[in-house]
Amino acid sequence: MAAANQLTALLNNMFATGLLDEQFQQLQLLQDPSAPDFVSEVVTLFCQDGERIIAELAKLLEKPTVDFDRVDAFVHQLKGSSASVGAQRVKNTCIQFREVCQQKSRDGCLKTLESVKTEFYDLRGKFQTMLQLERQVQGLYPK
Amino acid sequence: MAGAAAAERKAIRVLLVEDEEIHRVLARALLKAAVGGVVLDEAGNGAEAVRRVREAGGGYDLILTDRQMPIMDGHEATRQIRALGVTTPIVGLSSDSLDADVDAFIKAGADHFTPKPLSKEKLNRILAKFNLA
Repeated sequence: MAAANQLTALLNNMFATGLLDEQFQQLQLLQDPSAPDFVSEVVTLFCQDGERIIAELAKLLEKPTVDFDRVDAFVHQLKGSSASVGAQRVKNTCIQFREVCQQKSRDGCLKTLESVKTEFYDLRGKFQTMLQLERQVQGLYPK
Repeated sequence: MAGAAAAERKAIRVLLVEDEEIHRVLARALLKAAVGGVVLDEAGNGAEAVRRVREAGGGYDLILTDRQMPIMDGHEATRQIRALGVTTPIVGLSSDSLDADVDAFIKAGADHFTPKPLSKEKLNRILAKFNLA
């Protein structure tokens, strides 16, 4: 299958499975000849933010006394970042995480962090494939 | 044609108060796409926003501000900007959008609240509300 077809199929699958929502389409609409790498830029920022925040959350939840306000602030950041890129399932898991955080349950937070990791790394893998395919498409059809 | 009409309009001056790069990148692109001409200033926290507003002598047409930021949050920045006597429309932005979140921004002196993420439709509504479209 040509890279362009693979890219279309991948994106259709990401929308169909709820990984992405309509906010991602907003990003696609903002990509034009004056900003040809706009989607890639936002996706890369999301992936960097996600990795950093997940690492911070893991560190905070390892401490003998958990600062739940700080945990909540990091989850809030990831929720906002996810919403901006249209990462629907990551965003929804962050909403659950904040509910558990309000109950000040370390075990609940650790369990929900695992769900966040699963959703985030699944999406990150698909985003990486998407960016590779986009580069192939651009290489095949240079402007 | 719509693009040509937009280009003829006077550029508007916007202050974006946001600490996270991903939100700044999105807001920049949306403003560029929505407005014929925009002069965009950015502040990474509330204290920087207050300083920029003071330096600009209230010369902004619109201020878009996040809530949760280091050093000074969006509520406090809004209060301090209003205390300067600045009447520029201030729009609070947050991914928390319960009634209490909206009320807190309005109480601080904001004119309007829009839930994140920012989108073309949401930005157009803001610009229309303040006659900036």
